[in-house]
Amino acid sequence: MGINRVSLHDLSMLQLSDSFFPTGMYAMSNGLEALFYSNRKVMNPDGLCELIKVYLEHQIGPSDCSALGNCYESAEQKDLRSILEVDNTISSMKLIEELRNASTRSGIQILRCVNAFLPNNYILNRYHQAIKSKRASGVYPVAFAVVGNACGIPKYKTGLMMIYGFSVSLVGSALRLGILQHIEGQKIIHKLKPTMLETVMKNIDKPISSMWQFAPGIDILQISHERMSSKMFIT
Amino acid sequence: MSLKRVPRLGIGGPVGSGKTMLIEQVVPILSSRDYKVGIVSNDVVSREDAERMRLNLARGKGLMPEDLVVGLATGGCPHTAIREDPSMNISVVEEMESLHGDLDLILIESGGDNITTTFSPALADYFIYIIDVAGGDKYPRKRGLGIESCDLLVINKIDIAPYVGTDLSVMERDAKVIRGKKPYVFVNCKNGQGTEKVAEHIIRDVLFEAPPKAVAKR
Repeated sequence: MGINRVSLHDLSMLQLSDSFFPTGMYAMSNGLEALFYSNRKVMNPDGLCELIKVYLEHQIGPSDCSALGNCYESAEQKDLRSILEVDNTISSMKLIEELRNASTRSGIQILRCVNAFLPNNYILNRYHQAIKSKRASGVYPVAFAVVGNACGIPKYKTGLMMIYGFSVSLVGSALRLGILQHIEGQKIIHKLKPTMLETVMKNIDKPISSMWQFAPGIDILQISHERMSSKMFIT
Repeated sequence: MSLKRVPRLGIGGPVGSGKTMLIEQVVPILSSRDYKVGIVSNDVVSREDAERMRLNLARGKGLMPEDLVVGLATGGCPHTAIREDPSMNISVVEEMESLHGDLDLILIESGGDNITTTFSPALADYFIYIIDVAGGDKYPRKRGLGIESCDLLVINKIDIAPYVGTDLSVMERDAKVIRGKKPYVFVNCKNGQGTEKVAEHIIRDVLFEAPPKAVAKR
């Protein structure tokens, strides 16, 4: 592997992880807004950090991260059928309609964006086509795996990017809700780094049959958000 | 502008300037000419505007199915949602297009609140920026991307100009200076004064006077 190729991977990682990259994640709080406006309105940075750990360890890690790992391998093998299988499975595991729709919308847009500068990637094109013909939903972790693979970013780093993006999105929404200030936000991101790493290492190689999620408190929060009449965030 | 997609019109402007009321005035005019319109409303912190339009235009006047009025939250970043990262808006617009093949126009209302609002060309083909006279007759002169770059500047609430010390001739003079040959329209969205002109601009400059799809099929 030449130095130029490594540099391109690194730049692609920066590009896809940049908040300037259009994924729509800035408009999602994943239920945090509902928590903020509920009786547990007062939340401190430590509490937020613990909450994000629960999201990672019990929801995003064992479900989205495993889905990403499986799809990345399938993309590597140019195996569209397996990608569609994971797409359908992970989509049906997203119990809250609002979250499922947001995940799908982000996934489709990230695919389209990467497709604009990588128009000839076989599996990216096939998956994109499958979404257009309604054979796949385009849910975010699957789309992210496909674009990570298309950009030549290694699987574990693709997983880290998704987990990092999710965590930063939650911290960002907390910042805009006034739960914390900007430096506290960066401290939380730093504090969460070991959890992010562990989440990826623990889940990314698991087979599709062992995907799970169990965070009923968070599910209820996300349902509450879906039903809020006045809100700033999509989820 | 791609000819395959349904034309998209962005409407931006400060909170309270009359974006929703302008839509409530213009959509019935377009509907009376058989144009079928969908609406995406980007609210800053609520779904109130979308609910109101759904109630008035869809449920009340029966001008469109209820699913053609969609409210979208922007995470407190209304400008990002229509310019730097319009991905969520584009998704919603495309879903609307795929579900309603006979749509002639999609309106995208942005709940932005400052004078630098603009729409990504990937999201909107035409951009209306609306201000009102209550901000003072200095408003056009203060420029800002919205006022300068929009395709049509709409100045609302002209009926209250005498009560807030606003000289409409000053606003008109400055609008001409700042915008050159680009059009502006004075309106009163409360009683509809001037909104017919806005609809005419839309039909001519956005729809290129194409007949409504429903009529063309007959």
